[in-house]
Amino acid sequence: MANKEELIAELSECVVDLRDDEVADIAQTYIDSGYEAYDAMFYGLVDGMNKAAQLYEEGEYFVPELLICSDAMYNGLDVLRPHLKSGDLQRKCKVVIGVVEGDTHDIGKNLVKIMMEAAGYEMIDLGRDVPAEQFVTAVKENGAEAVGLSTLMSTSMENMGTVVELLEQEGIRDQVKVIVGGGPLSPGYARKIGADGYSNTAVEAVELLDDLMGYSA
Amino acid sequence: MAKDSMTPAERGAAIANGEQADRLPCNPNIANGTARVYGCKISEFNSDPQTIAKAQMATYERFGSDSLRIFTDLFTWAEAMGAKVVAPEDNTVDLETPAVRTIEDIDRLEPADPYKDGRLPVHIESMKYLKEYSEGIMGCSAGVVGPFTNAFFLYGVDDILKLCHKNKEAVHKLCQVSLETCKAYAAAAMDIGLGPTISEPMSSCTVVSPKVFRELSLPYLKQLVDFIHERGFNPVIHICGQTDRIWKDVADLGVAGWSIDNVASIEECKATVGDQCKIMGNVDPGSVMYAGTPLDVRIGTLTSIKEGYDNPKGYVCMSGCSLPVETPFENIDTMMDTVREVGYPVDPEKVDWMLDAALKERDGEAD
Repeated sequence: MANKEELIAELSECVVDLRDDEVADIAQTYIDSGYEAYDAMFYGLVDGMNKAAQLYEEGEYFVPELLICSDAMYNGLDVLRPHLKSGDLQRKCKVVIGVVEGDTHDIGKNLVKIMMEAAGYEMIDLGRDVPAEQFVTAVKENGAEAVGLSTLMSTSMENMGTVVELLEQEGIRDQVKVIVGGGPLSPGYARKIGADGYSNTAVEAVELLDDLMGYSA
Repeated sequence: MAKDSMTPAERGAAIANGEQADRLPCNPNIANGTARVYGCKISEFNSDPQTIAKAQMATYERFGSDSLRIFTDLFTWAEAMGAKVVAPEDNTVDLETPAVRTIEDIDRLEPADPYKDGRLPVHIESMKYLKEYSEGIMGCSAGVVGPFTNAFFLYGVDDILKLCHKNKEAVHKLCQVSLETCKAYAAAAMDIGLGPTISEPMSSCTVVSPKVFRELSLPYLKQLVDFIHERGFNPVIHICGQTDRIWKDVADLGVAGWSIDNVASIEECKATVGDQCKIMGNVDPGSVMYAGTPLDVRIGTLTSIKEGYDNPKGYVCMSGCSLPVETPFENIDTMMDTVREVGYPVDPEKVDWMLDAALKERDGEAD
């Protein structure tokens, strides 16, 4: 029988090394050996994704590499998911995420979603070109505690402010943290529209939300 | 326009010859905002060549900006090769679906005919008008997307990003057929007398690694630049986002200018390739030009000038990327007026003094 630690290490390596087509078989061997699914997810797949994120931060990995790493992570998760106990996946709060109305560029949003999911947030992805009202509705329906807004288009920036205003009008602004990101934005702009924070990269977005939600050690 | 004593052509020639000029060249990079200046719908640019040219001229007359360019969006070439676009009545065209979905279908792609396919004939026609209207005022240019970026719109952005690792041969094929389209379009523009400028946003270090760029984009970019050189023109290249690790690669192609975005540093770019090409940039088009106050614009413009004015191969004060359509005219005026106030040759002490005063004024506003 295969060694548990070795399999976990291999899952992690598969994710980092862009081996998205090998990861499912290894995850299956792991499950067939009767080991705990959570450990493979957290210490294998998520660990690999975190290492990929580190390489991204260091300028070794770029968008194509991260997309393939995340494919690998999800391919592994598909095998593990039926064996996870309830609560294994969501270790942190629910986050509504989307690209604001007027913009269809979603690479940045997808990267943030991937990193947040790997970090234990439950993501509710509204997609791209999302009207402000829809963010508010999703927060209410899902009991989300955070909202992530993204745009690459400067023309859509003001729609982020509209989301914050609507949350205020609905009286739920205090119940959610709003974080923003995207090419044309700056920390100053985030403050101006009343967001709780801005991050420059997908990895920083996780750190930012961990800080805001009090998950940071 | 009455504010300037020289035409852009006179200014450019004087600076190139080391003679006295009224000011640095300045290109706010107004893009489809020209529709707001001229008073038409952006969708008119999709079918009316004369309107494109007239809107360009109206923008020059309103602001005195040193650039006239035929370019409406990144998708005209992919569209001419079979991609579907969304064309809103009064906003910039966007990609709806790429031209092909499967590896097998890549072989069926044909290079576009600039005189026949999609909106390309409209653009070619508008070049003739613009050339006529701008005679004696300044040379005008024709924007074309680079082969690698066009390949993204032929195959779909997320999917081709993965192909950069999974199937490089497919990416090469997409770039090759894109290159043929780019060359045909550039040739048509040069036949009319417009110099091509190349936009290659997907080559940015914000998107792909320098390694992927060198392997999959640069060879085609080089062929396009060489082709333009052969016909006696020399293009400017614009790449959005961070580009520091590929400045040298692009400068080594022998291009006339590097247009860089606000997240890239003019100071560092100057140190790296300033003796090889002109540097153009990099006032923040979003936070400063679109969403900032005139004072923010003044600070942004002075900061760019301070970093770029002494670039050995020349400097153009420019926005880091195309301006959002609804950028306030007041901010564009402020950018131009700041460049006018600085004058030429640039006195760095005067720029420092102006910048200090502007920063103090902003601090005062914040109190």
